Amino acid sequence: MNGAHRFGSKCDRPKATDIHFKMQAPVEHRWSPYADNGGTCLGVAGENFVVVAADTRLSQGYSIHTRNCSKVTRLTDKCVIASCGMKSDAITLHKHLKARLVMYEHQHRRQASVTAIAQMLSTTLYYKRFFPYYTFNVLCGVDDEGKGAVYHYDAIGSFERVPYTTSGSGSALVMSVLDAQIDKENQTIDTPALDKAGIVELCKDVLSSVGERDIYTGDSGEIFLIDAAGISKTEFDLKLD
Amino acid sequence: MSGLMEYNGSAIVAMAGENCVGIASDTRHGIRQLQTVSCNRQKTFQVTDQCYVGLSGLATDVQTVSQLLNFRMKLFTLREERKMQPRMIGNMIASMLYEKRFGPYFTEPVVAGLDGEHKPYLCTFDFIGCLSTAEDFVVSGTTAEQLFGVCESFWRPGMNKDELFETLSQCLLSAADRDCLAGWGGVVHIITPDEIITKKLKGRMD
Amino acid sequence: MAAVEEPQDYLDVLQSHRGGFSFENCKRNAYLASQVAIKPPTAMKSGTTICGIQLKDVVILAADTRSTCGPMVADKNCEKLHFIAKNVYCAGAGTAADLQHTTEMMESQMELLRMATGTQPRVCTVVRRLSSMLFKYQGYVGCALVLGGVDVTGPHLFQIYPHGSTDKLPFTSMGSGSLAAMAILEAEYNENLSVEEGKKLVAKAIRAGIFNDLGSGSNVDVCVITKDVGGTILRNFEKPNERKFRAKHAAFPIGTTPIMKQEITKLVSVEEDVVMRD
Repeated sequence: MNGAHRFGSKCDRPKATDIHFKMQAPVEHRWSPYADNGGTCLGVAGENFVVVAADTRLSQGYSIHTRNCSKVTRLTDKCVIASCGMKSDAITLHKHLKARLVMYEHQHRRQASVTAIAQMLSTTLYYKRFFPYYTFNVLCGVDDEGKGAVYHYDAIGSFERVPYTTSGSGSALVMSVLDAQIDKENQTIDTPALDKAGIVELCKDVLSSVGERDIYTGDSGEIFLIDAAGISKTEFDLKLD
Repeated sequence: MSGLMEYNGSAIVAMAGENCVGIASDTRHGIRQLQTVSCNRQKTFQVTDQCYVGLSGLATDVQTVSQLLNFRMKLFTLREERKMQPRMIGNMIASMLYEKRFGPYFTEPVVAGLDGEHKPYLCTFDFIGCLSTAEDFVVSGTTAEQLFGVCESFWRPGMNKDELFETLSQCLLSAADRDCLAGWGGVVHIITPDEIITKKLKGRMD
Repeated sequence: MAAVEEPQDYLDVLQSHRGGFSFENCKRNAYLASQVAIKPPTAMKSGTTICGIQLKDVVILAADTRSTCGPMVADKNCEKLHFIAKNVYCAGAGTAADLQHTTEMMESQMELLRMATGTQPRVCTVVRRLSSMLFKYQGYVGCALVLGGVDVTGPHLFQIYPHGSTDKLPFTSMGSGSLAAMAILEAEYNENLSVEEGKKLVAKAIRAGIFNDLGSGSNVDVCVITKDVGGTILRNFEKPNERKFRAKHAAFPIGTTPIMKQEITKLVSVEEDVVMRD
């Protein structure tokens, strides 16, 4: 009966003992500090490079807050983080990480390695185990051996180094495409692995595909390519609807 | 994830090619996530020579609706002495489902067939009978999101029957691998003007 | 709520299949819901932008073409402009199945009325029948409609809410993008617009919904209803959202997918010679 009481109807006549006797409908108060701002990001590791792609739409419910808001932050010269989920938590988290990395640099007189940042991010997230940052992170970079590294996180700091990953509102659409194009689990005929340009093209295509079907992904996409030369960024258009 | 639509799990996808059309489904019959009852569950049903219907959703309703369809198809053939065209089958399913608007069957059908001129016809429904047609591909079931992703990337216009089979089965397998409720093998039907090719796929059994 | 009669035998079942809604699954579904599910599945909604304007002797309706199922786009190019009679069309927002079947039912009712009376149906007839039907179902049939037509008394534009209330207006918009569309209509509507200007205006209003409301998207459909020609649907009047990039993936080589078993059924066409005997 939806909790709403009706007077005079036989089936649910309110009793005097009922605490909601004088109310039309009980009002439920609940504190909800989290929001989902949508968006999709993905990261693919290569032999000596890594590609990160994300869309730039920031939305809530059925409305778009802005069409040009980057999900990706550069942490060091060879490491970036992309966060989907709640934007304000992502901003706070990225700010916090950058501050910690400055402190690291001052203490150790060098920039933190990707593996070190990955561990730090995990502890930072787990530090807020019972009031988590509502962010789903992908950490990408080139590690000390010069290999591409992609780390996938849940909201409370469980993490894993993977060859490719995705997070955000369109992650379900992305993952199978990457499986088929990179992992090739169900294919019996060997086809050549994708090169650097091929992976960039794949990332662009996947984001465009997600933009067709996920209402929270769109507007424009940005691709970060990290290799020995450093971080380079390219942008491309997605659908605006 | 505790709705009736997710109770048994299913992945169904249909695609159009050049003068051919294909429909594929997984074969798992499970109970929620942790129990798999069988890996040989039929989810695609041949309703006429050149038309298949795929039924995703609650297994009991999949069977009921498939039997109901069979009954309606036979009755139509007896009365009219002709076969239904896929478009007509689509409209019939839509009204069958909408009749139960307030006490629905928990199944989302997909129709794939060739019409009189060998042109592909694809359509899908929600569980209360909203018909939507597509020129390229349609998906249904618990794996719908993953299937949308792969189909958007891999579908190309003008595929022949062999290309259609490879694309369709790669889409099904890689999508179902990322859905714990579907998978455990797959079956693909390719409908061409003069033959129907049915292949059982070898997929992950976990 | 009246008790639902349960069918007792096969004849009752057949009787219950003679039209109207069937409630035979209700008890079962309630039981299943109590045993298995907490939430009922979501029906396809068109989180839509639709609008309509009435000019001197013409009515113009317009709609976007996205239908959604939660955050997913279920259909990128669906039709939300429905034929009801040659001179009456409507644009729908809400539960997609309800819209499709309600307008189809109204279409058949109007055709029967036309044949019975030998006259063109009037817009107010359609509105009255729709609103009585929707009121009867107390909002459970989720149709929000913008209905327009031209009849012997001139052009008319109505909006109808799911609970059955109706308004007669010179311009209106509905659906999740209605505010975006209404912003354009409020600013630029004027009853002296020409048909071409009117088409441009509704398309602009729908575009506002498409770009600013996530529930609306893809293309713009427009329907122009005039006294002489009746209604004409301009399908995909504008297509502002074509896909911008597609990679040329190498096609999967033939024989890529592992198969276990293959069956080929050959279809043969049987041509029967029908010999007419005396």
